[in-house]
Amino acid sequence: MKGTRKITILSVFTSQALVLSIIESMFPIPLGIPGIKLGLANIMTLMTIVIFDFKSALMVVVARVVLASVYGGSMLVFWFSIAGGLISTAVMGLMYKRYEKYFSIIGISVAGALAHNLGQLFVAVIVMKELSVLLLYAPFLMAAGAIMGGFTGLIAHFLLKALKRIITT
Amino acid sequence: MLKKGDIILLVITALLSISGYVGYSMYMDRIESLSKIAVIRYEDQTIRRINIDTVDKLMEFTVNGIYNNKILVEKGRIRVIESDCPDQVCVRTGWLTKTGELAVCVPNRLMIKIEGENLEIDGVTH
Amino acid sequence: MYKTLKVAILVIILIIALVACKGWQKPVESENFLMGTIISQRVYGKNAQKAIDAVNRRILELEELMTVNRSAGDASKINEMSGKSLVPIDQSTLQVLKKAVYFSRLTGGAFDVTVGKIVQLWGISTDNPNVPDKQEILDSLKLVNYEDIIIDEYSCSAGLRYENQSIDLGGIAKGYAGDEAIRLYKEYGITSAYINLGGNVVVLGKKPDGSPWRIGIQNPRSSNGKYIGIVEVADKTVVTSGDYERFFEKDGVRYHHIIDPKTGYPSNSDLISSTIIADVSVDADALSTSTFIMGLEKSIDFVENLEGVEGIFITKDKKVYATSGLRDSFRFSDESGEFEYVEKR
Repeated sequence: MKGTRKITILSVFTSQALVLSIIESMFPIPLGIPGIKLGLANIMTLMTIVIFDFKSALMVVVARVVLASVYGGSMLVFWFSIAGGLISTAVMGLMYKRYEKYFSIIGISVAGALAHNLGQLFVAVIVMKELSVLLLYAPFLMAAGAIMGGFTGLIAHFLLKALKRIITT
Repeated sequence: MLKKGDIILLVITALLSISGYVGYSMYMDRIESLSKIAVIRYEDQTIRRINIDTVDKLMEFTVNGIYNNKILVEKGRIRVIESDCPDQVCVRTGWLTKTGELAVCVPNRLMIKIEGENLEIDGVTH
Repeated sequence: MYKTLKVAILVIILIIALVACKGWQKPVESENFLMGTIISQRVYGKNAQKAIDAVNRRILELEELMTVNRSAGDASKINEMSGKSLVPIDQSTLQVLKKAVYFSRLTGGAFDVTVGKIVQLWGISTDNPNVPDKQEILDSLKLVNYEDIIIDEYSCSAGLRYENQSIDLGGIAKGYAGDEAIRLYKEYGITSAYINLGGNVVVLGKKPDGSPWRIGIQNPRSSNGKYIGIVEVADKTVVTSGDYERFFEKDGVRYHHIIDPKTGYPSNSDLISSTIIADVSVDADALSTSTFIMGLEKSIDFVENLEGVEGIFITKDKKVYATSGLRDSFRFSDESGEFEYVEKR
């Protein structure tokens, strides 16, 4: 794929991710547990990994988080987002590259969501210096991650089916 | 659509989060059973709940009904201090300090109970 | 792959079942003001709340039937028509009356529900109890005789032979209510429950963890649930009568609520507390009152001769006695240090 074409598509993906993260911030999930999000932006990260590569996905994630923080949110939120984004991208990238044989897009997405949630939780524990938070929230964040990750993975699966041919040719 | 790894991943996640939840609820039960909550009930309605472990200053209030029970709360204990009921059983009961302890004013249909299970006995015959 | 999936689903269902089971171990507790006292229940099992509601409804029914404060109740109707005619009564009132007469005969009149008139004179459990005139008591004493209770099972009716005679079921109704509670628990499939009807304890089965219920015997000279010992029971009832439950003081004299049907005055035996452990609560209720009146010596012999009944007696000089069947299940444990446990007589 030509450089220009790749950059164009990546920027489209980034803006899509940004739009998705703004949309989901308008619909907070009222579960009483901080940090649970739909993680819709994950769809774009996943697609970038599949269509391009891990490095491109990292760029999309960083760009999306930086831009989103421009639209609002504190410094703390930024660190949380970047930590969660980088960890989940790393996990998904590794799984897609090495273990694609064993995992479908949905499984990879679930793993990414889990990594995202648990990664953020680790950051919270480090910031708050309170280990019990981890133990109390972990089961809920894991369950949430599995459900949301499955959902976004399903969307990514169908999107990829439709887009792969168009973009790669 | 799903591959073997997906299923293993989902199962492990489910197992971990369920067992985590069980552990969490057991932990919360423990916390709850350790703190002493005095429940004040009047006419089969709970009218007040006070965590008597966290009361740091003297607290006094009256429950008015057919008769009037004046209730006194200190750190770690609670009692009916004054009552104009005929039998005075509630006042004679004195301080409640342990979980499962009970002070009752039958004439005024008032009850104070420290929630939780008594570790020594299940009940008292009298 | 489908096999893995099946196994996984099975494991998850198992864990969820386990979590649910843990929820069942938590009892439903309830406290209600009924029968002129407080009734506490602790019930385990999935129908616990339904069972508790059913028990509360049943107790309310029994209260209406047996209290003398409700003019529409069976007890009031019998008193009103005393010496005139039999009145049709509920099956449960009939059961209670039969039991009352049975225990009156068994105890030679130490227990007698026809003390209604005298209970009324003393104004016990009213707002203004008082010491009645001696002559009044002597006159009313002539009306006390359990043999004057007439029960006609075929028409389900009952009455009193002479005018002005009066029954008071206060010493036995709570016991019957306790038995009814256990019957209802069983009906709702409950296997583990505790009910305390103003001091009358009845337990169904053991605790869910398999251990027996531990019931404290109230220290008769202290309040606040302080106890002088613990008795471990399963499928039993523990009922105590004591001089400390309800009393009033006049001119420095303490008058308690257990009237001796022979004297018309509060019982003045050497006991201050008498506890009966039995299988049937209505029996224990009647027996705890009568042994309290009979005194230590008679009571111990009497209870030792009854099958499946045990007793714990506390005397005025603060000595605690238990019948031989309690050697293993009764543990003397007196925090106050005032009481003395007499193991061998």
